Amino acid sequence: MKWLREIETFWTLFTAPTVWALHFLICYVAFAVFCAKQGALALSFDTVRLALGGVTVVALGVIVLSAWLAWRQWGFGTDDPPHDAPTDEDRRKFQGFATLLLAGLSFVAVLYVSVPLLFIGACQS
Amino acid sequence: MHGGMHFHTLCHLSSSANTTYRADCCTYDRSETAISGRIRAPNQIFGRPVLTIVIATLALAGCSGPQSALDPAGVEASAVHHLFIVMVIGGAIIWAMTIGVLAYAGRTRPKPISVRGASRLIVWGGVAFPVVVLFLLLSYAVWLMPQVRPWLPGAMDGTAEIEVTGEQFWWRILYLDQTGKPAFETANELHLPVGRRTTFRLKAADVIHSFWIPALGGKMDMIPGRDNSLSLEPTKAGIYRGPCAEFCGTSHALMAFSVVVMEEVDYLAWRAARTQAPVAPQKTSGQELFFRHGCAACHAIAGTPAIGRIGPDLTALGERQTLAAGTLSNTPDAMIRFIRDPASIKPGVKMPAFGMLPDGDIEAISAWLGGLK
Amino acid sequence: MSATDLPTFTDEERAGQEERLRKVWTTPSGWRYWTSVNNTEIGLWYGAAAFIFMLFAGLLGLMVRVQLAVPDNSFISADLFNQAFTLHGTIMMFLFAVPIFEAIAVYLLPSMLGTRELPFPRLSAFGFWSFAIGGVFVCGSIFFNAAPNTGWFMYPPLATDKEYSGIGADIWLLGLSFIEVASIAAAVELIVGIMKCRAPGMRINMMPLFAWYLLIVAGMILFAFPPLIAGDILFEMERMFDWPFFDAARGGDPLLWQHLFWIFGHPEVYIIFLPAIAIMAMVVPTFSQRPIVGYSWIVLAAVGTGFLSFGLWVHHMFATGLPQMSLAFFSAASEAVAIPTGVQIFVFIATMLAGRVIFSVPMLFGAGGLAIFVIGGLTGVMVALVPFDWQAHDTYFIVAHLHYVLIGGMLFPVVAGIYYYYPLFDGKKLSDRFGKVSFWLMFVGFNVAFFPMHFSGLRGMPRRIFTYPAGIGWDWFNLISTIGAFVFAFGVGVVVIDVVRPKKRQPRCEQNPWNAGTLEFISEPEENWGVRSVPIITSRYPAWDQPDLIDNIKAGRYYLPDSPMGERETLVTTVLDARPVQCLRVGGTSVVTMVAAAALGGVFIALTFHWWWITIACAIVTLGAILYWLWTGTAKIPETQDYDVGLGLKLPVYASGPASVGWWAMFITMVGDGTAYASLIFGYFFYWTIHEDFTGGHAGPGAFWPMVALVLFVLAWLLMLAARSLNKANRIRATQGVLVLSTVLTLAGCGAGLAGPYLYSMDPTLFVYPAIVWVVAIWTVVHGAVAVIMQLYCLARSLSGRMTARYDMDLVNVVLYWHFMVITAVTSFAVIGLFPLLR
Repeated sequence: MKWLREIETFWTLFTAPTVWALHFLICYVAFAVFCAKQGALALSFDTVRLALGGVTVVALGVIVLSAWLAWRQWGFGTDDPPHDAPTDEDRRKFQGFATLLLAGLSFVAVLYVSVPLLFIGACQS
Repeated sequence: MHGGMHFHTLCHLSSSANTTYRADCCTYDRSETAISGRIRAPNQIFGRPVLTIVIATLALAGCSGPQSALDPAGVEASAVHHLFIVMVIGGAIIWAMTIGVLAYAGRTRPKPISVRGASRLIVWGGVAFPVVVLFLLLSYAVWLMPQVRPWLPGAMDGTAEIEVTGEQFWWRILYLDQTGKPAFETANELHLPVGRRTTFRLKAADVIHSFWIPALGGKMDMIPGRDNSLSLEPTKAGIYRGPCAEFCGTSHALMAFSVVVMEEVDYLAWRAARTQAPVAPQKTSGQELFFRHGCAACHAIAGTPAIGRIGPDLTALGERQTLAAGTLSNTPDAMIRFIRDPASIKPGVKMPAFGMLPDGDIEAISAWLGGLK
Repeated sequence: MSATDLPTFTDEERAGQEERLRKVWTTPSGWRYWTSVNNTEIGLWYGAAAFIFMLFAGLLGLMVRVQLAVPDNSFISADLFNQAFTLHGTIMMFLFAVPIFEAIAVYLLPSMLGTRELPFPRLSAFGFWSFAIGGVFVCGSIFFNAAPNTGWFMYPPLATDKEYSGIGADIWLLGLSFIEVASIAAAVELIVGIMKCRAPGMRINMMPLFAWYLLIVAGMILFAFPPLIAGDILFEMERMFDWPFFDAARGGDPLLWQHLFWIFGHPEVYIIFLPAIAIMAMVVPTFSQRPIVGYSWIVLAAVGTGFLSFGLWVHHMFATGLPQMSLAFFSAASEAVAIPTGVQIFVFIATMLAGRVIFSVPMLFGAGGLAIFVIGGLTGVMVALVPFDWQAHDTYFIVAHLHYVLIGGMLFPVVAGIYYYYPLFDGKKLSDRFGKVSFWLMFVGFNVAFFPMHFSGLRGMPRRIFTYPAGIGWDWFNLISTIGAFVFAFGVGVVVIDVVRPKKRQPRCEQNPWNAGTLEFISEPEENWGVRSVPIITSRYPAWDQPDLIDNIKAGRYYLPDSPMGERETLVTTVLDARPVQCLRVGGTSVVTMVAAAALGGVFIALTFHWWWITIACAIVTLGAILYWLWTGTAKIPETQDYDVGLGLKLPVYASGPASVGWWAMFITMVGDGTAYASLIFGYFFYWTIHEDFTGGHAGPGAFWPMVALVLFVLAWLLMLAARSLNKANRIRATQGVLVLSTVLTLAGCGAGLAGPYLYSMDPTLFVYPAIVWVVAIWTVVHGAVAVIMQLYCLARSLSGRMTARYDMDLVNVVLYWHFMVITAVTSFAVIGLFPLLR
């Protein structure tokens, strides 16, 4: 399955933002359902908040892991961009560097999305 | 008369000219310095020098009309105004710096900088700075949300409640008593006490509308099948205007209401007058014609047999600031024009034209309605 | 490969090659000119049509501005005003902003990627004709006073109110659904083209940034448009058959439409913005005369924006009364998306600082656009904050914001692109003088028109009002805005004049007039073949770094310099490193794309007017045209296994499975299809969350029939897997037998799928629960019906000897469809059959 390997390595670029997307979706759906079904669920707001705090930590962990893998692919930062030579090595380093950048952005974005967990303490609208 | 007239004279809001709002309230605001102790005005926070910049930036914000978010007269509006000013100042600085560098790079043809230097510019200017600034700003705004809208559904005890229903193209307003039961109904005009939080239960009868009093706070949609609510706390007495903020059909533009914010004593007096057993209005030929031509099929007037529910309640119509949901100033002429052909003034309105009635009849009806207090 | 290894042809050889290539790639004359599928023709038509629609929408915008110039104006009636602003928004978004980028992409990408053609030229043509027909239909409605009048966002219940919205809402829903089909076709074309059809050697770290952006944008279309299509389906079911999806009285909810619309609507903004920035990413390095600084940063920004833009949709719904927690998540994502946007701006500035800027008209428009866009971005940061948006939402502040973003971030860069790329059309430059005049008119006019709107908005002026009273504090702002709008319009007019003015006497400019580093300027206006030979790329800026490249391309010294078999050929390369793997033969001139688009247009137009028989007739013609197109134009068994593409390389002409572009097209289409389906399932659970008892006491489809359907679909899928293996093992008869059996099971599954809701007499007009169950069941069964057509198609191909053990692309692609089919069927029947039991 050569194509699969190739696509997989292409997809690594998207790992970190995908983690962001999942984290975002979990947060949104959890509170949408919780606030709509408060009566039927035996959970407190703070339980959900804490659980999502846990999800945030996990998400950040996965992003850091993907960043580390990308850093490795980039040769631990030994070679500065532009990575524009027509070689497999430069292509890999480019991928590593771009993936690392995306991991950074995703890390920040996950942090941003977790800000509401700190400040909002009820289902008010 | 009650508070309404009181402010009417102070503000000269409703002049004889057709639907002309004058922003004379501003004069009133200044002279009274009716700022609630809980919310600080921007100048108390920033001090003089910054205030000068603010005034320079928002040169026209000081006295900006009865429907302006730049002239806050409520807790939420003030807090948001403050947030806005912080953002405008910050934004102006960021814009000037960015465009300054762009112009420098593009127009002066400086000596090329190194790639390393250029990369550093991306990292610091394009990444680090925005990440920090946006994080702070986001935290400020998210922190502010529950501050300005703290109430929870079902936990609104202690505040006065008003049910407002958006209809094409007017507002049905139902004041509720302490137990949440209907106290009295009116239309297109709210009276609110200053310094007290009032909760609005927002409903829609037909399509989506949006309830908004810019001077007091942000808006909230009225959506069929959904129970939304909003609570606002005015901090300055005065007369304000609220538009419908969600496109709702042909005459969306002509769907507004007046908000009369009164000192609490005046408000309580006004409310008491409304809640008392209604006094039958003086009988005139206008009243007789009103019933003969079937107006009561759609309109209700407390103290008379008119209990129609289709159109706006007309109780104490003579006291209101405007006619036809903020479309016309409340003058006999305007009322006659509206009764004769409502759709020419307000396209898409449900009320049929009564142009076939003799002029005298319309004038009599209008005189009677205008006299309702 | 060094230049010495390249072959050299004699003049006669070259002349012969060129003659054959010219013949193969020729554009027909006479009326048949319009049957051309060549990317330069399609791109040009697409762009011209989109531009004309833009001018029309601009006139509508001016009408709106005239009406609002003074208070209590009666220039146009309330109803015409409502039609005008609805169409203005609709046309600008659907008929200009998205199509213009599809046009630019189709036009530029092949030469930019150093290839001959995109992989599915006929699909491009089909997309264009769909767009043109749908666009004329939607625009024309206003001349019959029948234009949509509910705003471009079509909120129910206003837009489901037939008395108010009349036929206009149907025209919007069906006309635009049709255009959305075209956009998804373009997305398929662009993704496959960029991933698989780059010139050999153009690794992903060397792709022009324009291609990176478009790859991301095409991916976004794939996830953004289908939710709107799903919403359109629900909407039309309510309008045509009274299924109460958005009717609160019967359990529906107007907010579901808002969710589906904005899941589309917000990514849409970035779908519009990113391609325009992509033009900037080509223009800035050229005029800085150096490679871009921060190539990876741009890739980061494009990908990051692509993802984050899907977490923003609720910021159009901050005032709908959702829990503050939900609002805050979307606010956070909306702030986060400002980061990659800022990165792009700084990349451009850094590149300019690291080079020596040659200031020219394209740069003028680019920099001016940036200055405008930054203001729009900053106000975007403001309105993304919930408390501020509670005030600013639905006011002229937002009107100002969105025009700053879209005109600064999209229109100005597009005009920059017009000035930059115009020489590709006829080898001549546009006028510098006209360019400067139009820039200053547009720039000043724009700011005069839109800056005051910030103030009128905060002074409480709501959007979409046809009139306003005097003295409320808006009079002067509106008058100034109207004056500015006319100045701006004059500026646009000057651009139009510059483009259409005759240039016969003007001398030709050089082929690469701006000394650009990328390949798009190798395309010669007189030739249709795109590139004379498909080059080997070793640099991000080959025109700068690879000496003699252009001469060698023109001398036919690279791949595919000839067309001995009289076929339109291009190379397929691998995704990451662009190693050549296949010689692809693409479809040529054909009338079938036009027929298919016209017939499909007929379906949508007839549906609008409820002409059921014409609808059915058009649907049959559409199906017939598509089948004819596939049967005659795809998966042809080639004359040879190994085809000499030049430079001593032999490549297969036929590929099947993931190595083929067709497989990718199916995969990508089905991802979009799956997104639409997921939106319907989202709807099902949405109704569950808003109701105490989401069935409303109505009977469900039971568990039995859905489970039967589920099992039948799974069996049919397993049989399809078996058929693929049998066919590979060259057991043709057995394959055909299994295909027949699988078809029968599929049909039975379709029947069982409908049996549940039918036998339990679920009346979809009574309550939303039966309606959503019916929709899920029908969606699944319709896909089953399409599966049956595909199965029969494979059977026919096999019987006619067009599908063999080696040449099995049809079957492999149908099995791929079946993977998605079985996921859909299992999800549908498990949800409608089992979920009610869990309550």
